[in-house]
Amino acid sequence: MTTADRLTEPAPAPRTARSAKRGAGPAVHRRPRTVRSGRRRRRAVALLYLLPALLPYTLFAVLPLLHTAYLSLFDWDGVTLPSFVGVDNYRRIGTDPQLRAAAWHAGALILFFSVLPICVGLVSAAIVSRRAGRRGTALVRTVLFLPQVIPLVAVGILWRWVYGEDGTLNQALRAVGLGGLTDAWLGSFTWALPAVGLIGTWVVSGLCMVLFLSGTQRIDQEIYEAARMDGAGPVREFTAITVPLLRPELAIALSITVIAALSSFDLIYITTGGGPGNSTVVPGILIYRLAFGGGAVGVASALAIVLTVVISLAVLVINRLSREAP
Amino acid sequence: MSPSPSSLSRRTLLAATGAVGAAALAACSDLTPGASSAEKSSSGPVSTAVPADEKITLVVADADDTTMTPGLIAAFRAKHPNITVKRQYTGWDDYLKSINTTMSADSAPDIAQFTSGMQNLVPGRLLLKVGEYGKAYGWAEKFPGLDQITLTPDGKTVGTGDLYGVGAGLSFEGVYYNKAKARKLGLTVPPATLEDLEALFAKAKAAGETALVAGNLDGGLNHPFNVLLSAYLTPKDREAWAFGHTSATIVLPEAEKAAETLQRWVDKGYVTPKVNGVSDNDATAAFAKGEGVFRISGNWAAAAVAKGLGEGAGYFNMPPVTAGGKVRTTGAGVYYCVSGKSKNAAAAAAFLDFAAGAKAAAITAKAGFMAPDAGAMPSQSGLLGDVQKGWQTVVKDAGLQPFIQNASSPTMGDTLTTQLQLLAGGKVTPEKFLAGLQTDFENYHK
Repeated sequence: MTTADRLTEPAPAPRTARSAKRGAGPAVHRRPRTVRSGRRRRRAVALLYLLPALLPYTLFAVLPLLHTAYLSLFDWDGVTLPSFVGVDNYRRIGTDPQLRAAAWHAGALILFFSVLPICVGLVSAAIVSRRAGRRGTALVRTVLFLPQVIPLVAVGILWRWVYGEDGTLNQALRAVGLGGLTDAWLGSFTWALPAVGLIGTWVVSGLCMVLFLSGTQRIDQEIYEAARMDGAGPVREFTAITVPLLRPELAIALSITVIAALSSFDLIYITTGGGPGNSTVVPGILIYRLAFGGGAVGVASALAIVLTVVISLAVLVINRLSREAP
Repeated sequence: MSPSPSSLSRRTLLAATGAVGAAALAACSDLTPGASSAEKSSSGPVSTAVPADEKITLVVADADDTTMTPGLIAAFRAKHPNITVKRQYTGWDDYLKSINTTMSADSAPDIAQFTSGMQNLVPGRLLLKVGEYGKAYGWAEKFPGLDQITLTPDGKTVGTGDLYGVGAGLSFEGVYYNKAKARKLGLTVPPATLEDLEALFAKAKAAGETALVAGNLDGGLNHPFNVLLSAYLTPKDREAWAFGHTSATIVLPEAEKAAETLQRWVDKGYVTPKVNGVSDNDATAAFAKGEGVFRISGNWAAAAVAKGLGEGAGYFNMPPVTAGGKVRTTGAGVYYCVSGKSKNAAAAAAFLDFAAGAKAAAITAKAGFMAPDAGAMPSQSGLLGDVQKGWQTVVKDAGLQPFIQNASSPTMGDTLTTQLQLLAGGKVTPEKFLAGLQTDFENYHK
């Protein structure tokens, strides 16, 4: 229970920005000026409407985050009285080689959780939208989205079987005469990280596709028709119209998937637990190990705060870039 | 909160929300709810009498996946009808990570299975010192291995200090083997020395068999490594390190020999191929299905192995380094401790004492554990009988040693797993492997 709290903590941060923006909408709505107090009153009323959302959000997201930040200044084993150490925990984070490895792995996961799924999602969305209404399209769409519905823990267990020594992947390789290529994928120092990453690709691609599909429905068909009149083929249509016009969806997909990559925990915990050696260790795993097994709540909190800041910055940058005029 | 609407500006409202939040935060007892509670111990008058006229509820938290804990609970309830015992079972990995939080809660269970990492509860005074109950009940004579749950006030050193619980079912490690395959390959068991065991591995490997079935996805090579350490390391060095004595070290030539041996077994192909990709449970399952010839594991695996291989399952103790030497192996137990917050300490102590009895011994033995009262264990046939005979030798030779990851430091379990994967993957030398373990040790015992 607390595990989940702690681990999902970094994630809500970007959601703040979005929901606050959305929420603040009515309050700053420009209206013809009447009496000043009338405007004020409307603002206050709007805020009252916000209260039911703001209060639980403050209680369950903002305050725990602040509390984590506070705890990160202590040396605390989780049981006995803590002692104040200032920024020592942050200094330790800066020098720990295991943490540096974790940061690299999280970066590599962006490739598998963001870049690949977005590519797959774009292509599949383009294909599915062109074939809309034809037989089998709905099935393809459902199958591609299905991984998103399965709990990540179940996904992890499932893929442990796939990647096992006698798992489906190795069986398939042997069946096509590539038995020499088989490996215990999750136990291989070379392949464990890509193997775990590809699970992420499998999970997230469907979500990206659905996002992009909804985006393509917004694009005016006349643009496509015009392009076709000019002699554009499907590939040209894709690169010249679909991708540029999907910019807002791309930004959302990128934000969601980058968050998923940087804060990944459950998949890795279930499949490799960070192993073999440290080859799939990510910040989430370290936070969990430090706080719950290692009795180093302070360092774990500091790491969680750093992770939150990094993710927030990443999302901020993505949003900035996507807002620029094409 | 009802100022007139006109004066209720956004800022006021936000400030109010903030204030409410801050108040709520401050109200959450402490921001850092470290235990500052008064010292709890059974230093007052204790008695072995269990109140029989009032209704008592005991909560037992454990990670025991055998029939022992539920069996003991059922038998204890039958003996004390006025005591209701509720069980909170959690899987091992999750138990390790959550038990400190559970024990810190106001609704802490009365009795908990003691595991590594719970040392922190001692300076937090969340565990009851049961020494007085121990004296009243005479536990020193009833339970072997009480030193493993005797801790110094800072919780960092084991073996000296106050008693915090009892070991109800004891476990130890040895070598299982597939009798049919040993016969077919002409392997003479039991081997007299470690060297002989390795020769058997070589012979099995030459015949195309997996000599030693193992899984290291979750660090299962710690079983062979622990027993190799038991064989090579002097008991004094081993205990000093595993019990977390100050300035103890594992960077020793004998330990290096153990690590070298394990790495050699992997390198020569005796161990399950791609061992880092197989989980420990899957390794037991594969062995029980007839894969491979030998498996180093604990008595908790006996039931599964016996079920799979039937009459074809054999067991012998880990051989010593020199022929005729004393048998030394690694083991632990299901230790029960009592919460410092328990309102029913007397009833909890009665449960602990109950685990030493003859009735409990039958339950414990049936679950595959060694009972504290070894004489009361019903004799068993087949594999479980072999394991029981092995246990008698271990007790006779006083060869039971703690797992190195259990007591040395709270993070040692993860560190050992990581380092063993590196060792098996050929990514570190035995020296670097040991140095990695020592670094973890020193981070905690600095």
